[in-house]
Amino acid sequence: MTQAEIKLCSLLLQEHFGEIVEKIGTHLIKTGSQPLRVIANDTGMSLDQVKKALCVLIQHNLVTYQLQKRGFVEYEASCSRVLRILRYPRYIYTAKTLYSDMGELIVEELLLNGKMTMSVVVRKVVNRLTETMEDGKTMDYGEVSNTFVRLADTHFIQRCPMAPETTETLDAPPPPVPTLVVNEKDMYVVPNLNLIGKGKRRRSFDDEDNGEHKAKRQKQDADSKEPPPDDGIYWQTNIDRFHQHFRDQAIVSAVANRMDQTSSEIVRTMLRMSEITTSSNAPYTQPLSSNEIFRSLPAGYNIVKQILDQYLTLLADDPLEFVGKSGDSGGGMYVINLHKALATLATATLESIVQERFGSRCARIFRLLLRKKHLEQKQVEDFAMIPAKEAKDMLYKMLSENFVSLQEIPKTPDHAPSRTFYLYAVNTLSSARMLLHWCYKSVANLIERRQYETKENKRLLEKSQRVEAILASMQATGAEEMQLQEIEEMITAPERQQLENLKRNVNKIDASENQVDETIFVLESYIESTVKKL
Amino acid sequence: MAGSGKGRGRAAFTFNIEAIGFAKGETLPEVAFKPPPLFPPTDFKPVPLKMGEEEDYMLALKQEFRASMKKMPYFMQKEDENQGIEKYSKKYLQMRKESMEWTPGGKMKKAKVATPKSNVDVLKKIEELEKKGDEEKSDEEKEKEKDKEGEEEEEEAGNEQEEYDEEDHEEENDYIASYFEDGDDFGAGSDDNMDEATY
Repeated sequence: MTQAEIKLCSLLLQEHFGEIVEKIGTHLIKTGSQPLRVIANDTGMSLDQVKKALCVLIQHNLVTYQLQKRGFVEYEASCSRVLRILRYPRYIYTAKTLYSDMGELIVEELLLNGKMTMSVVVRKVVNRLTETMEDGKTMDYGEVSNTFVRLADTHFIQRCPMAPETTETLDAPPPPVPTLVVNEKDMYVVPNLNLIGKGKRRRSFDDEDNGEHKAKRQKQDADSKEPPPDDGIYWQTNIDRFHQHFRDQAIVSAVANRMDQTSSEIVRTMLRMSEITTSSNAPYTQPLSSNEIFRSLPAGYNIVKQILDQYLTLLADDPLEFVGKSGDSGGGMYVINLHKALATLATATLESIVQERFGSRCARIFRLLLRKKHLEQKQVEDFAMIPAKEAKDMLYKMLSENFVSLQEIPKTPDHAPSRTFYLYAVNTLSSARMLLHWCYKSVANLIERRQYETKENKRLLEKSQRVEAILASMQATGAEEMQLQEIEEMITAPERQQLENLKRNVNKIDASENQVDETIFVLESYIESTVKKL
Repeated sequence: MAGSGKGRGRAAFTFNIEAIGFAKGETLPEVAFKPPPLFPPTDFKPVPLKMGEEEDYMLALKQEFRASMKKMPYFMQKEDENQGIEKYSKKYLQMRKESMEWTPGGKMKKAKVATPKSNVDVLKKIEELEKKGDEEKSDEEKEKEKDKEGEEEEEEAGNEQEEYDEEDHEEENDYIASYFEDGDDFGAGSDDNMDEATY
């Protein structure tokens, strides 16, 4: 874990879970896996606090535990999983685009709580939706359950590992750590629940329904005493599946930018067909025949089979190599080269960064080096058509920032400088890693700045919150216009201006964090694809 | 002599400087002898942020998520250090600390619900106490409480100790709140603090 990653993790933990959890989480990330007492000793916190913090972290899938051979239990934090907290709004938004408000709320509840049972999720979502609806209407459990089932079917949520049902022998002591297992087949199987009922509002009910609701409340109490039928079956969000979706989105939009709408639709269809058949880190999708693709095209697109074939040939011949042809059976077998696509996306990001940092001429040299791999100084000047002095200057600037590397090839064994080739080259993988590190640093800086801004204006913020609370309570009790105006004037005009500025700055910083996270996603996916999994 | 190079005191390199492109006799760029500035001026300003409905919605989601996380029982707030002025009611709120056995998700909510009620009771109690006793009396108690609290805040299980100290402090007034009804050992413990004789 680099320093930048650790700093970012600690800031994220502090913002979402408080300082105690942050201290313990950061300690675990820095030192690797440790047993409970060592953590308590090193952080100087009481055993009780450490236990609570670990509970919170385990609940949110940030820490795992393992029984070591010597008999004690060690806890390990996952730095990359903590960094995902930055991406939560994107997950929730994706769920909204795919499954509308119900999907959005289900995913949001699961992310807020880490692990939950289906009945609890559905109940909470129904209550939340009911509150936003008009008076008198309530949300039905059935629709929300259906959305939940659909989310599970498309693998966006999955079951957590469960404790196995063991035949307990009373004399044997329970193991220090429950070994949780998850059956691959059952991971997306939804329990058969009969969830019926309507949502409840938290606000005061109408007088007419009073009697009815009293009865309902009693029934609810009775229900809560019995264990729900799906007790022990917990669900969590499947982060990898969301990442797969983002990757597909990125590829489709890249194709749309490069070619046209129709080809992007074809690529989208191909990706959709391989969603469940291809694992998330496969280098390319399963081969799909042109006939299959034709049958699976969305209903709106009525293009002729020949046109589809032409498009596929064009895609396969494109130098970007997103789509490749792997055979001729079935009208032509086509695959999508996922790893190549990710590499292309990362390279495009690199080029764009060089352009924005150093100017378009440097970007030209950069692209030239990417294409030609190794070039001497003189060749760079010739190919880029840039005067020698400027080309030298730009190359050295990029070299000093480590975007470009220098390779020496000696002609003689004594490495004399006058008799050595110096070749410039670009190493995309190492540049990507360096940029990823920059991204983590930027987000950490952004969060710190945002916290600083909020802290500077804390007094003003508290005052405005109090005024709003007073206003709200007065409006509820029906106050006059004059009184409301008086209360509003408690905040002076320059203070109002200051608050506006603060709000604008905080929003801007938050939006920047979201966008840096998009770059982080592209770079991380690329780097992950190059790592060989054993 | 060997090694004197081009001229006395001039820089001499081991290789032909023309290889990297500097003409003979040309001024070399300046040598840096301090670390680069912390915020160097940039030639190119950053690209403006992406604007749009999607971005706005995700921004709202992010801020709402952060706010909801702060209200969840998972958010563990560190106990505040001495904040300048000690609030009298804080002593009573601290007595309602979370129980030692903590079950995730279960008891935390109940503890939260209980504290507002205790607040109301405590406030009423304080009002009654104020009406009964002198104002000076309550000030004295406050100051002594401040000193004691400063030491005690570092200890976790302060419940029992605070109650004990409360009784101790009450003894130091001119009025004896209650005649001795406690056991014989009570007087023996607090002999050092007592100014007046025990009856």
